[in-house]
Order: sequence, then C-alpha cells, then structure tokens
Amino acid sequence: MDWLWLVPALPLAGFLVLFVTEGRLPERPAAWVGAGSVGLSALAAAVAGSDFLQQGGVPQTQHLWTWIGAGGFDVAVRLYLDGLSLVMMGVITGVGFLIHVYATGYMAGEEGYSRFFAYMNLFVFAMLMLVLGDDLLTLFLGWEGVGLCSYLLIGFHHKDPENGYAARKAFVVTRVGDTFMAIGLFLLFREFGTLDIQAAMDGAQAAWPDGGALCTIIALLLLGGAAGKSAQAPLQTWLPDAMAGPTPVSALIHAATMVTAGVYLIARTHELFLLSPDAQFAVAAVGLLTLFIASFTALNQRDIKRILAYSTMSQIGYMFFALGVGAWSAAIFHLMTHAFFKALLFLAAGSVILALHHEQDIFKMGGLWRRLPVPFWCMAVGSAALAALPLTSGYYSKDLILLASFDYGAVGPWFWGLAALAAFMTSLYTARMIFIAFFGEMRTAPHERKGLNMRLPLAVLAALAVGGGWFGLVPVASVLPDGGVDAAHHEGALVWVTMLAPMLGLLAGYLIFGGKQLSVDGLVNSGLGQGLARFWGGGWGFDAFYDRLIVRPFMFVARVNKSDAVDRIYALIVEIARRLNAVVTQSQTGALRWYAASMALGLVLALLIVLLAPSL
Amino acid sequence: MTAVAVPIEQVLVLAAALFAIGLAGVLVRRNIIFLLMSLEIMMNACGLAFVAAGARWAEADGQIMFMLVLSLAAAEVAVGLGLVLQLARRFDNLDIDAASELSG
Repeated sequence: MDWLWLVPALPLAGFLVLFVTEGRLPERPAAWVGAGSVGLSALAAAVAGSDFLQQGGVPQTQHLWTWIGAGGFDVAVRLYLDGLSLVMMGVITGVGFLIHVYATGYMAGEEGYSRFFAYMNLFVFAMLMLVLGDDLLTLFLGWEGVGLCSYLLIGFHHKDPENGYAARKAFVVTRVGDTFMAIGLFLLFREFGTLDIQAAMDGAQAAWPDGGALCTIIALLLLGGAAGKSAQAPLQTWLPDAMAGPTPVSALIHAATMVTAGVYLIARTHELFLLSPDAQFAVAAVGLLTLFIASFTALNQRDIKRILAYSTMSQIGYMFFALGVGAWSAAIFHLMTHAFFKALLFLAAGSVILALHHEQDIFKMGGLWRRLPVPFWCMAVGSAALAALPLTSGYYSKDLILLASFDYGAVGPWFWGLAALAAFMTSLYTARMIFIAFFGEMRTAPHERKGLNMRLPLAVLAALAVGGGWFGLVPVASVLPDGGVDAAHHEGALVWVTMLAPMLGLLAGYLIFGGKQLSVDGLVNSGLGQGLARFWGGGWGFDAFYDRLIVRPFMFVARVNKSDAVDRIYALIVEIARRLNAVVTQSQTGALRWYAASMALGLVLALLIVLLAPSL
Repeated sequence: MTAVAVPIEQVLVLAAALFAIGLAGVLVRRNIIFLLMSLEIMMNACGLAFVAAGARWAEADGQIMFMLVLSLAAAEVAVGLGLVLQLARRFDNLDIDAASELSG
C-alpha cells in the first residue's frame, strides 16, 4: 500500500527535473529521466496492484495530506485504489511507459527534446491524479491538468501557427465540456456538502432512490464534461485537429489515456447514471451517434493520423455506448484493449510517417509492406484488433458490448443492429487504410529509422493487442454494478452476426481497395457520392456549423467592439491625466532662476501662513 | 578680555539682509559664477544666524551647524565649479538660461 503514492509522484519528479533544467539536459539523460520516471511509476503501480489483488481487492485509501482545511470544508489529497482505478493506473503507466520509450527514438534530434518529455511526464502525472484521486477536487485538478498538457503537446511544434490553432481549439472545445462538468460538481457539492466521491455517490443513492430531475441534470452535466474530454458528439471536433502534435503524443493523449478520462468519469459516477435511466440512455445515444459520425468520416480521410483519430473517436463511442446500455465492465474492458491496439496503431503509423519523411497521406504511400515489415505487421495486428477480428483483444471486448446492447430494453435490438453495422464500417475503413497504404504500387520510397527503443514497444504492444483480451474481464466486477458481462446466454444467429460483421467489412474492404474486384467508382463519382464524400469527409459539417454558429459571430463581435465600450471609461481617465500633464508641464520651463524664485515665493507663503495664522 | 555682547536682533537683521541680498543675486544674475557667489552669501547668512543663536543660548549646536554649512559650501563649490566648467564647454557662455533643456 505504501507504494501507491509513488505512482503519481515519480512522473511528477521527472517533470520537475526536466522543468528546472530548462532543456539544458542533453538528449540521453533527458530520455532516461523522461521514460525512466514513467517506467519506475509502472513498476510501483505493478507492486501496488499486486498488493491490492492479494488483499482480495478491497478498496484502499491512502491519505497524503490535507489540501484545504477551512472549518467544515476539508479537501484531502487522498489516493483511492479499487478495481477501476487499478485498471486505469495500469493502462496509463504501462502503455504510457511503452510510448515514452518509443518517443525517445521518435523524437531524436528534434528541437525541444527535453521539453517534450517534461510535458509528457506532467501529462502522465495529471492523468494519474485524475484516476487515483478520491475526491472530486483532485479529480478535477487532474482533469484540467490533462487539458493543459494536451494543449502544450498538441502545439508542441509551436512555430507553425496551424499547430497553435489546433492546440487552442482542443483547449477551448474541451473547456466547454469542463464547464458543464464543473457545474455538475458544484451541484453535487451543494447537495451533499462533500467532495468525497464515494460519499457523494452514497448520498445520491440515499437522497434520490427514484432518480428525479436534479439527479438527471447532474448526470447530464457530467456527461457533457465526459463528452468534451472524450471527443464525443457534439464536442468531438477537436480530436482530428489534435493530430498536429507529434505522433507519440497522439498515441498517449488521443488514443490510450486522455480521451478515456470521460469513460472513467462516467464509470466512476455510475451510481448517478443508474439512478437516472434517461441520462444513461443519453450516454448510449451520444456514443452511438459519435460511432456513426466517426466511422463514416474515417472512410473519407486521406491522412493516416486523421483516420486513426476518427477510429479513436468511434471506439470511445463504443465505450460510451457500452456504459449507456449498462455493460459497465465491458466498457472498461474495451478501454483497456483499445489502449493497447490504438497505441500500437499510432506508434506503427509514426514509424511509417517517419520513414516517409513526415508524409501522412495514405494515397502517397502504397506498397510499403515489403519495405517496412515491422511497422506493417504492427499496423496489421493493430488493425485486426481495431476491426475486432476473432482472437484479437478487440474482438473480446467489442463482442461483449454488442451482445450486451441486445438486452437493452425495447430498443436493444435496434441498438445492436446499429452497433454491428458500425463494426462493419470500422473494419471497412481499417481495411481501406491498410490496403491503400501498404499494398499496391509504391509511391514514396521509405527510409526506416531502426532502433530497439522504437521496435521493442511496438513488439510488446502487438503482443498485448493480440493477447490482451484472452484473460477475460478486468477486475472491475467489485466496483461496477453489472458484475461482469455474461454473454453466454446469447446463442445462434445473434452471436454469429456479431462475429461476422467485422469480417464482412474486411472482405468488402479487400474487394474494393485491395483486389479491386468490386468497383465503387460509379457510386463515388456520381453527384450523390461526391456530395456524401464531402459531407462525411468534413466531419459531417460540425466544424463548418460551429464556425458559423460561434466562431464567426464571435470574431464579428470582436471586430465591431475593437474599441471596447467599457474601455472608454479608462480611456477617459487617461485623457484627463494627459490634459493635466499638458497644463502642469507649462511650469517646467527649465530655467533655474524661475525655479529658485518659485521656491522662495513658496517659502515666503509658507512663512506668512505660519505667522498670520498662529492657531494652525 | 570682555566680550561686547551684540544684541541678537541686530545679528539676525544682518543675517536676513545678507540672505535677501543673496537671494536677489540668485534671482537676477544670469552669470553662473555670480549665481554661485550669491548662493555662498545666502549660506553664510544662515551660518551667521546659527552662530548668533548658539551664542545667545550658550549652546554648541549653532557652531556645529555652522561647521556643517561650511563643509556643505565647500562641497557645493567643488561640484558647482565642475558643472560651471562643463556648462562653459558645452554652451560656450556662462548664461544659466542657456541650460534650460529640461523644460517640459
């Protein structure tokens, strides 16, 4: 138990070392500090985790210190370890460590090497505080820290204004969600007078046994925060632009850890959602909607990282969907397997991008599988898991989600059908990416950067992407209400269709993009096809819509109000001071004798006053 | 030796007259040398008043103050003459009104 505090402390220490040395550290020591601190943190997490499991999985609390103590208002920095935070902690430190190791090779020779690792360490620290924090304020601290680090890392190559724009967009859009969340937390605090998560949840169960409006409102506000952080509709627009960051950043923040914060939040506060079926339905609907938007958009992207970004969005959509339909453990299970295979995909894509000198357009790749065998096989394994082909980790988790959705009340079969269709779409766009980028004729000659520090993480992640799901559900049964998903009672066609949907997608993908037996040129080149491609490719017009609805009116107001009305008052003060100055400067003649005379006159006046008014 | 006591009023009148003469000199003369000399007169007028007051109340303070005034005058002359040299070099004359560049 004593090891738990080391888990977030080590990345923080790494950050502090890199921060105070201000980038004067050469690459090797910076890499050791950056990756080493997260590696040690992963070790500490493993020790703390095995300790936890040996003690039978009883939730443990470690009180570090009292942050704020004011009368009855106490905020303690406490770490809380249960099955849910154990899984999150393992994923963050484990996958995070592999990504850090990979980044030591990927970022070699880049400007700001140690700054990069400082941000990455700070990010891991913030994420750990988010999942380990025992009260809402600590959680919120981690939540905002994650937002800050994503801003810093997306805009890492800050000399290009485009990257700065992407970073600001991510920051502002997630801030919208954060505002919802903050209001939700305030309401919780107002109702129960405590920031302790477990206490607040117990209070909610006692106060609203039948749900009620307030409970639904709070749950929906929390959902808003989760949607912002996890890039779910309608706040999903920041994620594709966030690909401006270096590829390991995309792997760490936008696949493995940060975007899962929303899933964690909902799982952590699941009592509220259980009390309010409406809010839970909203979670499922948001997930399903995002799933579809992202799948169709991914099908129309050229940039390999944007394809992966949209696939992340859709997989997080699956997690929300699972949370919504009550497959709580399956959602966390999918979160874990997704972290494995999505980190693998991003890192392998990073190797490809690096080998092609930062070429990200899949239509300029082609035929790479012979020349880049390691990245290719890693991409293939990751894609298989993403598409949920049988025996890969993604299959086990996605299968559970799909089967569980069938049981969700009257709309269950519909939900199941839509989700299965989305699974088909997932494997279709994944197949498109693989076949276009790695097969066919070669369009750009690759120069692979080899190195153990880049290949080892890929190998480990590939093994996890395949085998990460074999050992069944993660130890969250004691935390989450469904106690694990029982998929055994489904039989017959339902199971087969669920299993075959991704394979059909793969087959269709092969026929269209691989062997070209099936031509869709006629459809694509028709007016409808072109229009749809534009609509889907542009992310279903969300960006354009927000641009019209918010950005442009805001810019317009800013332009109109350039000479701020409120500023007039202050301008007036300035003007008065300036006028007075003009008057008083008249007396500053620069003539010494004039000054002497005024001093003498003043003295005489002062004496006169003293003499003529003795009472003063 | 018997000291002839000069009434303090007369001494103060003398000091005031000297002070007024010095002040008038500062205000009307434009030549820096004369300006410094007038300042010197003003300071000595003050010194005289101090000494007279010290003698009147039989206190050493007046004479101590006079010594301070003397050292101040010496310092002032040292700095003042340096400034005079600089001014003469820069403006080619000793007119104090020529050095009025600090006007607002």
